[in-house]
Amino acid sequence: MRPEIKEYNFDWMLGSLLKTAANIGNCSEKEIKTLLNYVPYYKGTLEVLLREGEVGTCFIRLLDKYFDNILNAHQNRKKIVGITFCLSPTLFHAMDIVPVTLEVMTGLCGLLWKRGAYDYLDHGVELGFTETSCSSQRGSLGAYLAGLGEEIDFLVCDTPGVCDTNANAFAFASEFMEKPFFQLNYPYIIGDEKTKKYQLDDYKDLIVFLEEQTGTKLDQDRLREVLQEVDVQDDLLAEIEDFYCLIPSPIPILFNLFMYMGRFLFSGMPEYTELLTLMLEKVQDNAKNGLSGLHQTQEKARIFMCYIDHYTLDMKFFDWINQQGIAHLGAILSRNFRDNTRYAPDFQKSTYGIDTSSLETMLTSMSEMNATLPMVRSIRGPFDQPNMWLEESISLARMYQADCVIYNGTPGCRNTWGMVKPFAKEVEKAGFPVHIMYGDAFDDRVESWESSVNRLQEFFSIRGIL
Amino acid sequence: MTMVAGCDVGSLTTKAVILKNNQLVATSLIRSKAKPQESARIAMDEVYGKAEVSEREIQYCVGTGYGREKLAFVNEAKSEISCHGKGAKWLMPSVKTIIDIGGQDCKVIKIDASGQAVKFVTNDKCASGTGRFLEVMAKVLGIDINELGSQTAKSKSPITMASTCTVWAQADVISFIHAGVPLEDIGAGINLAMAKRIATLANTVKPEKDICMTGGVAKNAGVLSLLEDLLGCRFKKIRKSDPQLAGAIGAALFAREQITEK
Repeated sequence: MRPEIKEYNFDWMLGSLLKTAANIGNCSEKEIKTLLNYVPYYKGTLEVLLREGEVGTCFIRLLDKYFDNILNAHQNRKKIVGITFCLSPTLFHAMDIVPVTLEVMTGLCGLLWKRGAYDYLDHGVELGFTETSCSSQRGSLGAYLAGLGEEIDFLVCDTPGVCDTNANAFAFASEFMEKPFFQLNYPYIIGDEKTKKYQLDDYKDLIVFLEEQTGTKLDQDRLREVLQEVDVQDDLLAEIEDFYCLIPSPIPILFNLFMYMGRFLFSGMPEYTELLTLMLEKVQDNAKNGLSGLHQTQEKARIFMCYIDHYTLDMKFFDWINQQGIAHLGAILSRNFRDNTRYAPDFQKSTYGIDTSSLETMLTSMSEMNATLPMVRSIRGPFDQPNMWLEESISLARMYQADCVIYNGTPGCRNTWGMVKPFAKEVEKAGFPVHIMYGDAFDDRVESWESSVNRLQEFFSIRGIL
Repeated sequence: MTMVAGCDVGSLTTKAVILKNNQLVATSLIRSKAKPQESARIAMDEVYGKAEVSEREIQYCVGTGYGREKLAFVNEAKSEISCHGKGAKWLMPSVKTIIDIGGQDCKVIKIDASGQAVKFVTNDKCASGTGRFLEVMAKVLGIDINELGSQTAKSKSPITMASTCTVWAQADVISFIHAGVPLEDIGAGINLAMAKRIATLANTVKPEKDICMTGGVAKNAGVLSLLEDLLGCRFKKIRKSDPQLAGAIGAALFAREQITEK
């Protein structure tokens, strides 16, 4: 790693940048215009975010708070847990533990820094990870393994049997950083009573582990409060997602990113409820006026992202699809499979509910919620179980009347990249043209954005979509 | 009378053609320069000279290839896949599947009766399935790239070599040379590695007859015959013009459509 990169902590750099951005949100238009000249390196990203008005500034404030929590955790006598995006942070919020979600932080590096997470990704390789290991995890994990972040106190992951690459990286990090580590395990069969009981028992063991690490008992009332907040958030999410069915879609392109990033970082926190409320108001307003969520352009096509978005500098991916008049119908990541969603009836035994009547029901709700998260269930593989990634993607693409399905991911994703071609064939058979982006969502060095956009243009033109 | 032009700026070569009343009157094929604009300018000047026409006489010009967006003189830029589909159909009217191996990528395109591309697949890995791969290997062997194709027919025992990375394949070839393996066996091994990668790619879209090859590698008889063996069918050989010009011809045909539609 270059010596100058070691001068500052990676989380502090991201946090400082977002702190400035959060302040920009309070300025007048003229002040913003002037201030943007002083932040040439992330001006593009900020402009795209600020274009979303109040929702955009609220999202920036949320990210600022996230980093504030991390950077001040130890000062506030809180513990920091390193987790993966496939693990709901709800329980940690209920126990006053500050979660660091590795994949989201790598994505933020890509969106905010010209050099992305390259130095940290490469540090991961220097330590022995392969270049084709999961880049979403390797980026920020590389920084923490280099000691360039607020010290992580312990690690929790839920990827054994789900993504062994991810789980092995956590196991290695635990050894390397000499930190305690807990793994939730997931059986092959999902949704049956035996599995549910196994998951619940496993979840109870996790609570024992967390109590040991923090020296604090789980507070039932606090847990109820957090879960009730999640319940409200789930309702808001379901309501917003319903609007994807409208043509034109009244949902702005970035809203999907806000939904899933918010859920991975802030599930159960009131600030996320505030963001979702603002989003719903904007969407309802657009729908009432028959407006598309796109900025200054008409909706010409509709895409469903069957995995993740592209987190390249200046939010070029999101900006480009907006310029083309393409409505983003969401990614599979934002789908929480709550039992009150429009798509839930198609996926019996794959959804969860929230019951806060007793500790047992709350733990059951949380273990089931966790078991429906991306990768734990949905993106485990297209042929792993019925009613998972493949069926969900087809069902959602159909429900939202998508013109095509786009795959973007990382070559390190064994679950999706490893099976994306057979998956694409099946989705094509169902009548949806599929484009596989060969780039890495977290590392532009795999395929430059310029090459990716050329191939996207080719796809839209040849398949007669645009 | 219609007079249109097509210009295909590829990573290795730049091609330009002029169509007069749907007849190919002049073609040009040059080595690409660092800047696409410069390559296109040279190729266009050459083709104007050959056709004895001036730029002003060209009613419409379409650009394609990786540098298509950078060309100031074209009226329109079209995707490579569309142009290759269109061009191949004009060169071989019965074609349904086109295997185009260019300098830095390879594509398998299925077209409908009108020449419109309906399905396509491109290489998702490095240069080992492309023209650049053959060029690098020919250089290591110390032979002209045009001689590489004939090595397959001469070889009795082709070598097996790394086929996922051009640099590693180059290291393999050097090792084989040092070990005294006959040049034709190394050359045939190179063609086989290339053909196997393309065949795998082609099979993903279930190629339908008639199949033809375009791009520079279409002139490599070794790769072509091995691909025929691997896919289990004979290809239709393009004889109407140089198969490497298919993209530029397709671009000119799009230009012609613009004129006739007006």
